[in-house]
Amino acid sequence: MKYTARLPTDRINVSKTDPRKETLVLVVGVGACLVVLLALISFSMDLLMGWVPFSWEIRAFEGWGQEMMTAAGVKQHAVDETLQQLIERLASHWPDVPYRFQTGVTPETLPNAFALPGGAVVVTSGLLDRVESENELAFILGHELGHFRNRDHLRGLGRQVVTALAMTAIGVVAGGGGVTDFMTIAHYVTDRRFSREQEFAADRFGLEIVQREYGHVAGAEDFFKHLADEESVWDSRAASYLSTHPWSEGRMERLRRLAEGNGWSDQGNTRPWGNREAGRENSSPTP
Amino acid sequence: MIELAVNFGIFLLLMMLGYLAGSYLEEAHYRRIRARELEMMSMPAVNFRSPPAGWKIESGVLVTGSVVVSVDYFKRFLAGLRMLVGGRLKSYESLLDRGRREALLRMKEEASAQGCQAIINVRLETSRIAGSANQGTAGVEILAFGTAVKLAEN
Repeated sequence: MKYTARLPTDRINVSKTDPRKETLVLVVGVGACLVVLLALISFSMDLLMGWVPFSWEIRAFEGWGQEMMTAAGVKQHAVDETLQQLIERLASHWPDVPYRFQTGVTPETLPNAFALPGGAVVVTSGLLDRVESENELAFILGHELGHFRNRDHLRGLGRQVVTALAMTAIGVVAGGGGVTDFMTIAHYVTDRRFSREQEFAADRFGLEIVQREYGHVAGAEDFFKHLADEESVWDSRAASYLSTHPWSEGRMERLRRLAEGNGWSDQGNTRPWGNREAGRENSSPTP
Repeated sequence: MIELAVNFGIFLLLMMLGYLAGSYLEEAHYRRIRARELEMMSMPAVNFRSPPAGWKIESGVLVTGSVVVSVDYFKRFLAGLRMLVGGRLKSYESLLDRGRREALLRMKEEASAQGCQAIINVRLETSRIAGSANQGTAGVEILAFGTAVKLAEN
């Protein structure tokens, strides 16, 4: 046998392809499809959760609410009774309210309030210390009631679970790594919009409840005024698009327009909360 | 917001690093491969199972050449997208081409070091090196092996 020394043909096993074209086609084509798919999944779960009957939700989560509150360190003290009474008064303005609301206070200096599926509302002790009037607190609680009425927590739960499943499944097929990171970013951007609109809707409901309970909306905006003072203007504007909570001045503006549009007065007496005196620019102290 | 910017920034950084560093390293590797192929041109590596008639073989020894190669972040991302829709994973083709040629070269180099003049019954095997659960495949090991033979003066 005669052997002739020969070099292997270079690159015969490598397709002649322009990496930039391949990248463009894949990223724009498949990448865009992924983004759309994730957004669609989010959207449909959001719709679906809205149709879940209240009774199912209550049956599934009511016990869980109690456990969560114990886990969050909710302690029983004197304020709880007034808080519970307040929320029941506010809920009475919601015709056919399906929930039996449970309230709790968690020892935490940062002011916050949140709703748990099934009818539990938790506020932080920091919030109770900061509110200047019962009306301000009523608006915050009304806002949480709005979340219950719009099934926001349930929607969020459904969305998160199903989107996480979808991303995991896609990630497994796509071999992890870059595609998973890409999807995380895409999901982060698309998911924010829902939450902003949900917050506005809860604001609307809260304001309406305050109007019905007190006959005016004085004091409702105080919480936002406090927040806006603390957030620097630059931070608010920059963070607003992509954050879950729309920036406070924007929310305040929309609420003002809503109140004006409905002819709700922001002048009136506000009731004191806790050991704070009722003294505010828009009201006279209660006798 | 900050979290998003950081995530996106890291992603972009990895992509650029992968693309730039990856392309450079690949080209450098190909250059070395071509140079060594030129050197080892005179050593035949064939996959006949038995030696050709007329060869007077004094001794034979098993020689192997293996290499573990991995892709960069950019190629991995492209391949991931491609895996969703199917088709040729072009970004992995050059990886395997390099790996095969490198493995064959190392086998030839070992044969040469043993003082052999040819290699018969050459085979190639590929196996996957698993990465973390997040990463899937970390790399690929390519093994080339055969029987290197010392020929009598001929």
